[in-house]
Amino acid sequence: MTSVADAVVPGQRLGHIQEYNAGEGTYAHQDFLYASVVGIKKVTIADNEIPTMSVQRENTQSAIPDINAIVTCKVVRVNPRFAAVNIMVVDGKPCTDDFQGIIRVQDVRATEKDKVKIYNSFRPGDIVRAQVISLGDARSYYLSTAANELGVIFGTSVAGGSLIPISWQEMQCTKTKVIELRKCAKPM
Amino acid sequence: MDRKRVPGPELSVAPLVEYPADFKRWTPQDECRHDSKRQPEDMRPIYLKTGLITQANGSAYIELEKTKLACGVYGPRPIKRVGQIFSGRGILNCEIKFASFSCAKRRSNIRDPQERELSQILSQALAPAVRLEKIPKSAIDVYITVLESDGWGSCVAAAVTAASVALAHAGIEMLDLVAGCSASYIQTAPLSISSLSISEGDTGSISTSTTNTNKTITATATATQPPQIFMDADFEEEKYQQGAIVLAYMPSLHEITHVLQSGKAESSTISQSVEHCMEACNKIYAVMHHALLESIGENKEAL
Amino acid sequence: MASTTDSLAASPAFTFSASTFQKLHPTEYFRKFISQGVRPDGRLLDSFRPTTVHYGVITTANGSAMVRIGGTTVVCGIKAEVAEPKLDSPDQGYLVPNVDLSPICSSAFRPGSPSEQAQVVSEAIHRVLKESKVLDLKDLCIEEAKAVWALWIDVVCVSYDGNIYDAALISVMAALLNVRIRKPTYDEGIVKVPGGEAINDENSFKLNLTRIPLSTSFVLFDTDLTLLADPNFAEESITQGQISVTIDEHGRLCRISKVGAASTSQSLLKQCIERAKIRSHELRSIMNQQ
Repeated sequence: MTSVADAVVPGQRLGHIQEYNAGEGTYAHQDFLYASVVGIKKVTIADNEIPTMSVQRENTQSAIPDINAIVTCKVVRVNPRFAAVNIMVVDGKPCTDDFQGIIRVQDVRATEKDKVKIYNSFRPGDIVRAQVISLGDARSYYLSTAANELGVIFGTSVAGGSLIPISWQEMQCTKTKVIELRKCAKPM
Repeated sequence: MDRKRVPGPELSVAPLVEYPADFKRWTPQDECRHDSKRQPEDMRPIYLKTGLITQANGSAYIELEKTKLACGVYGPRPIKRVGQIFSGRGILNCEIKFASFSCAKRRSNIRDPQERELSQILSQALAPAVRLEKIPKSAIDVYITVLESDGWGSCVAAAVTAASVALAHAGIEMLDLVAGCSASYIQTAPLSISSLSISEGDTGSISTSTTNTNKTITATATATQPPQIFMDADFEEEKYQQGAIVLAYMPSLHEITHVLQSGKAESSTISQSVEHCMEACNKIYAVMHHALLESIGENKEAL
Repeated sequence: MASTTDSLAASPAFTFSASTFQKLHPTEYFRKFISQGVRPDGRLLDSFRPTTVHYGVITTANGSAMVRIGGTTVVCGIKAEVAEPKLDSPDQGYLVPNVDLSPICSSAFRPGSPSEQAQVVSEAIHRVLKESKVLDLKDLCIEEAKAVWALWIDVVCVSYDGNIYDAALISVMAALLNVRIRKPTYDEGIVKVPGGEAINDENSFKLNLTRIPLSTSFVLFDTDLTLLADPNFAEESITQGQISVTIDEHGRLCRISKVGAASTSQSLLKQCIERAKIRSHELRSIMNQQ
């Protein structure tokens, strides 16, 4: 159990820069290490290295997408070049406000990129798991689904039933048994 | 004409307040402050609490006796503004709003230039402390509602303090907390009538009683005497101020993020008041520190 | 959203934490709780959140009150100013209620002019005050055809967590009960009030309210119209319709509103009114405690 003595607030001095490495939630400024978030300080000891000082956040910042993060998003619009999505969850943490992202046609899958058709991969309303590949342009993050475990995880068929994946690029409607094309995520 | 609100009469004014002839109003010549409990260097007691706004990522409520403000922090969230360009740094956006009933005179519901100015002051005072490089492409919105204002300077200072606590409460990475403090320069030595300048803010009938008390005083020159520095002046005291200062300070890094000095003052007075304010900020820091640690305790209980 | 949720269990391979599931499928998340007879915040379907009323919190206002219903906090301040009466009603004052849902209270609101919801709530309160004749506007007359009091009733929402109409109406009524106006004198176009000494019964007057309407709101969830009392923000955003019942202290109805797509039966409406009677009685005892 952590004691109150280990609780710190931003700007609190944690130690000398020669004693500790700066970890999460800390920063170095003029030979000293300071906390940058409210939380509990923690020292991680590593072999052959000076220990790392980090501060475990008490009040988690609302999630923002970062490069390589796995995000869950909802498709809002498709066109032949890309699918526009709302990013709703980042690394398992729900965002308070949705961020915008796009999955470009060349980022849908890893192989046979020239044969990809957005319309046969995503439809508006689908819930997609994707990875952030760049901060993108002023508005949208660029996402990729070019891995087995990435792609559509929930979808609704034309008839209104939910879809079950039957192969990596086909899903079947539970109501009408009609097969629709999607870039499916392999269940983990 | 505002079509989106319930309309009232086109013109309405506050009634004229008539004071009885024997009514004694507070003046700086009284040998105490308006709030008789305080010394010139004393601030009002601060009540600070986090987490009152359930929907916000971080929030704080601050009270300095009658001055009451609420602050909510939203973000980091996507920038909603159109026509923005890509930026590797986040944006800190502050907005302060006075409730229409917050001052002696009723304020309009529409955002006025004073609120815009204050909003900008706040952004400038807080931005140096926030690690905006950690949140590319995102915006942090800080909203402040003044529920009651008792002194303009103290209101700005309290807004800075509350906003920085709310930012920390939202889990946003910061270099340090920012404490805000205000002071007014008030001439307490006997005044000559000619140099009596009162900002007649709310009512028109205050001069009768004050001039009465001063008539007996001979017109000694007062310009040479330095004014007294009143920390955290309230609304009544501000009516007599020659100048005022609002300081935003990062107590553990010993850095000043914003100074706003207005009115006439000698440079010695100014440097002295800056020192006083820094000292006061260290006291405020203790309150902020306590409020944030309390928020940790509450989270623990919730678990 | 509702159509995607019929057989989510069909893809059990994807597991999520509760908060993620709530974000992706809010309705289905909610339905799981309702089927057990509880709500995600631990309340029963017909229970209300803790409610508090504080009077006189703002000293710069003639009357004020702060009301909390769970996570919803509103502050109402009333300022009395002097205005010229309307030509067709020379002895009647003004009551001007406005509700401000500013961006501080929830990320659902944007800066700028009042949102549609704020306008709807303002207008609803305006109508209740006016049509239930809560206050005889002649009481606000200072000098006939020359000067009357205009009461600017402003409600500021500090924290928004649903059920704003109930909270705003309680705060308006509590602030009206709290109003003290110094007795004015009229002299050749100038209205004067005595200053100096502290406000007391001698130099000021209170408002004489003819009735105190208070409201109770419910939302209707799903096609089977489950009735949920005192909805919070998350509940409001996924439900189909809202019913508000406004009742005065003698149990007389002042206003009923039912909005949203879901249709209601007569018995359901009766049920709402019965529960609203009980709730408004509770609210009155909370208001009298202070």
